Parts: sequence; C-alpha cells; structure tokens
Amino acid sequence: MRKQLVLVCALSLVLLLTACGGSNEPAIPTGGGGAGQPSGPAAPPPTATLAGKIAFEGTAPPPAKIQMSADPYCASHAQNPVTEDVKVSDGGLENVIIYVSSKVDASFPTPTEPVEIDQQNCHYIPHVFTMMVNQPLKVKNSDDTLHNIHSYSEVNTQYNAGQAVKGMVNDTKFDKAEMPVPFKCDVHKWMGAYAGVFTHPYHSVSKAGGAYEFKLAPGKYEITAWHEKYGTQKQEIEVKDGQNQLNFTFKAATSAD
Amino acid sequence: MSQSNSAGANIGLHRFAVFTTITTVVLIFVGGLVTSTESGLSVPDWPTTYGWNMFTFPYSKWVGGIFYEHSHRLLASFVGFLTIVLTVWTWMKESRKWVRWLAAAALATVIMQGILGGLTVKFLLPTPISTAHACLAQTFFCLIISIALFTSEDWKAGLPTVEEQTGGVRLTTLCAMTTGAIYLQLIVGALMRHMSAGLAIPDFPLAFGRIIPPFTSDKIVVHFAHRMGAVIVTAMIVWTFSRIRRAYSEHPTLYRPAVVMFVLVIAQLTLGAFTVWTAKSVIPTTAHVATGAMTLGASFFLTVRAFGSVVKRRPALIYPFREPAWK
Repeated sequence: MRKQLVLVCALSLVLLLTACGGSNEPAIPTGGGGAGQPSGPAAPPPTATLAGKIAFEGTAPPPAKIQMSADPYCASHAQNPVTEDVKVSDGGLENVIIYVSSKVDASFPTPTEPVEIDQQNCHYIPHVFTMMVNQPLKVKNSDDTLHNIHSYSEVNTQYNAGQAVKGMVNDTKFDKAEMPVPFKCDVHKWMGAYAGVFTHPYHSVSKAGGAYEFKLAPGKYEITAWHEKYGTQKQEIEVKDGQNQLNFTFKAATSAD
Repeated sequence: MSQSNSAGANIGLHRFAVFTTITTVVLIFVGGLVTSTESGLSVPDWPTTYGWNMFTFPYSKWVGGIFYEHSHRLLASFVGFLTIVLTVWTWMKESRKWVRWLAAAALATVIMQGILGGLTVKFLLPTPISTAHACLAQTFFCLIISIALFTSEDWKAGLPTVEEQTGGVRLTTLCAMTTGAIYLQLIVGALMRHMSAGLAIPDFPLAFGRIIPPFTSDKIVVHFAHRMGAVIVTAMIVWTFSRIRRAYSEHPTLYRPAVVMFVLVIAQLTLGAFTVWTAKSVIPTTAHVATGAMTLGASFFLTVRAFGSVVKRRPALIYPFREPAWK
C-alpha cells in the first residue's frame, strides 16, 4: 500500500508545486495628467480664465434603464435609474474632464478643502470629478445599504473601502497624478464614477449645457478634453489675461465603442 | 492488497469523504460565480464581513455582489470544517498511517487555501495570488477524492488486478500524463480568467477570423494557450478513453471513470465555446470552471485506480523451438 501513498503524495506534490500563477505588472497608463509630485517654481497668479462649451453633435444614445433588483433598497429608492455615461443637455456634453495636459512647470499648494463623492440612492454623486494630488477625498455613504468604493487606479495604489452604515465617511487621497481613475462599487455593478488627479489646479468638468470654466496663468498650453465613452480630444491654445474661449465638439459617430 | 483488508470497514468515514468531495465541487462552482460576477472585492475586509463576524453577518445585507462573495466564504468555511472532521475521524479510526497523513495534507491544503483567499481580498485580487487560489482548489479537490477512494470498500478489499493489455506507453503512465495535462490546462485557464483575458480572442472556433491570432498582447497569448491546451487535453483524454474502451471495457474499475472523464470533456468543450459565444455569460462561464474541476477529478480518480489495479503483462511462455512439420 506504500505504493499508493507514494503515488498520491507525488501527484499532490506536483499539483502543489505547479499551483502558482504569474503575470506582468499592470501597465502604467499614458494619461496626460503628468505623474509625481509638483515641482518647479512657485505658480504664477491665475489671472486668466479658460471657458467654453463641449458641444455634442448627432443623436445621443438614450440612457439605458438600470436593473437594481440585486438590492431591494436601491430598487425602492432610486427613481427611474438610468445610465449616466452620455449626458447631453442644450446640445452640450456633460461629465467631460477638461485639463491642461502639457507640462506645467510650477509648484502649486495642495488644497486642504476636500473633494466629496457621495453614494446616494445607489449612485455616485458626482459621476465625474477632478482633484489635485494629495487633496483629501471624502467618501460618504448616504444610503441605508452597504457599499464598497473601489478605485481601479493603475498608477496610484488601489483604494477599496467598505461602508456598511448610513452616514459613514472615509477619507483618502491619491499621491500621484492619474487620468482617469475609475471608481466602482463591487456590490452594485452599475455604480461607476471617474476622477482626474492632477499636479496642478488647471482642470474642470463640464456641467449643464457642456459648459466648463477654470482659472489659470497666461501661457501656451495643450488642453485635453476626456469623456468616458467618446475618448480624448486635444487642442493647443495661447491663454492671455482675462477671458479665453476654447470649445470642443464630440460627435456621436466618434464613439470609441 | 491483503494489507488493505486489515484496514477494516468504516463505511461512515468513506461516505463522509464522498460528501466532502461533493461539497467541494459545489464550493468550486460558487467560487467560480464570485469571479464570473466580478464580486471578489464586494466584501473589502477579511476575515470579517463589513466589520461583522463572518457567521453573524445579517442575511438582509447579502445584496448584490456580497451575496456571491459571502456565500463563497461561508461555504469555504463549511468545507474547512468538514475537512477538520474528516482529518480527526481518519486519525481516530483509520489504521493505515499513510491515509491519516493524506487527511492531514488535505487539512493543511484547505488552511493554505483559506489564507490565499484572504490574501487575494487583502491585496485586491493580484493575478498571481488569485490564480494560485484557483489552482490550489483543484489540488485540494484531488486530495479529498483520493481519501474518498482509499477509504472505499472496493479499495480496501483490493481492486481486481488488471493485466496490461497493450504495448507502448503503460496505461498508468498515460493516465498520469492526462491528469497532468488537465491540471496544467486548469492553471492556464485560471491565469486567463484572473487576467480578464476570457474574451481577449472574441470569436470561436477561429481567432480574429484566423487559425493563429496576432499575438499583440499577453492576454491574447494566454487565451490562445488555453485553446491549444484544450486541444492537447482533449487528445490525451480521447487517447486514454480509446485505450481503455478497446482493451479494458470489461473492467468497470477503469472503464466507468474513463467514460465519465470522456463525457465531461465533451461537456467542457461545449461550455468553453458558449463562454465565448455568450461573452462570458455567468452560468456557462461558471459551469466551465466547475466542469474543468470535475474532469480533473475523474482523470485523477482513474489514474489512482489504474495504479492500484493495472499490473505489467506476464512474460509469454517460451516453448522450445520446433521445426515446422512440413519440413
């Protein structure tokens, strides 16, 4: 019977020894936000304003209804839940991140005012936001159900926190620039959000009508507009003191899908 | 086989081992569901569940992805408990020392598996740990199968001796090679799954409309390796099954598990195709994982039985040379 013991042990040993996988490190994205801590001389005063509209041409896909039966709380509290990936109002595309993607050779103080993301009726509010490196991010759960907020960051360390109680608040931050940082709730698959993390404050998110605006110092810049479904567009501009206008147009036909 | 007879009958222990084996199959299926539904991180803490003790987490809070992840944790705990009982029972009642140590090895494996499960949550599903977790599950499954087999009445009474019927590769070697090939294929499958490469090649049976796809990413390489592995494993199983059907069909000890293994691999190929065609729909994808484990189990079972029953052919009797009569 020793023969059988030797056989089983040998087979098990082989299986155990081979029970290991391997893979490459995750790829570092080539997002235009730059990486690392801010460096360079003190930032010049932001005496210019860059504003514009993110126009949308074509027929926007109708928002899809979200099936929330996986969680009775969500199903009963969310009123007519629909997807937010393409939100068009007054011919403008909302939730587009507009930011300076060329190198900004200046150092900016880290804001102490936190950016907040809330979980309300099983949705992230806001759906898209921007922040600076090391700026506090407040994660709030306003729902009487469990959420986990999970950043699928590739440059920064991933963040995954469970929030079991209504009103619970967690604080975190990202110490490297990364664009974009997707967020997901692994409990509720439909919940998704995006953040842009930058070493400078020259960024904004388009609101109603596709309007955006942010202040910056005069100079020559490359400006990037990013949308979760329609990808990125870039433009060069020389920003002067006072008001500056820069518009982008996304077309329904240019969908990356 | 006379030594086995001294082991004595313990039908209860054998049945308990069989029950643990079946529960392990269910656990592998539920574990597959966790990955298929992408729920692995829906409970971000471990061993607690959102701060609760795992066993007191309220059922009303098993919502969304938590349902799958928490069910997997509880079922895994149950299998761990069964393994503890099995080990203690074996050490108390089993007279064969090597069977006792086999049970201890199963217990050590299930503990290691639990730790890997925790680590994969703590480190946010790193591919090496998640893949190792998936592969160790198969190892544990094989260990439990072997305990169920060695505690069976058939085994203890001594399997009927089967004389090697054919030349070439020995049947025991062929069975072991098939089991090894299936296990390697499961490793590649687990790697593919945890790299999210299940749809890296979106068409089937072709690959990007070609026989050989363009290898433009690691995911495509791993996915294609899994498809090639399927071809090799199927060939090995067909070879093994054909050999047994041709030469050992009157020996149910070998023929029955060979039939089961053959049927399972056909089902497995079908499920693999549906996994791609349905864009990784949850049920076919998860069934593909569980059927893969069962195919390994059937092959492992067959292999152990072959080692326990097949003996080398006796040398032919040599008669004195005689001149033919017509000379």
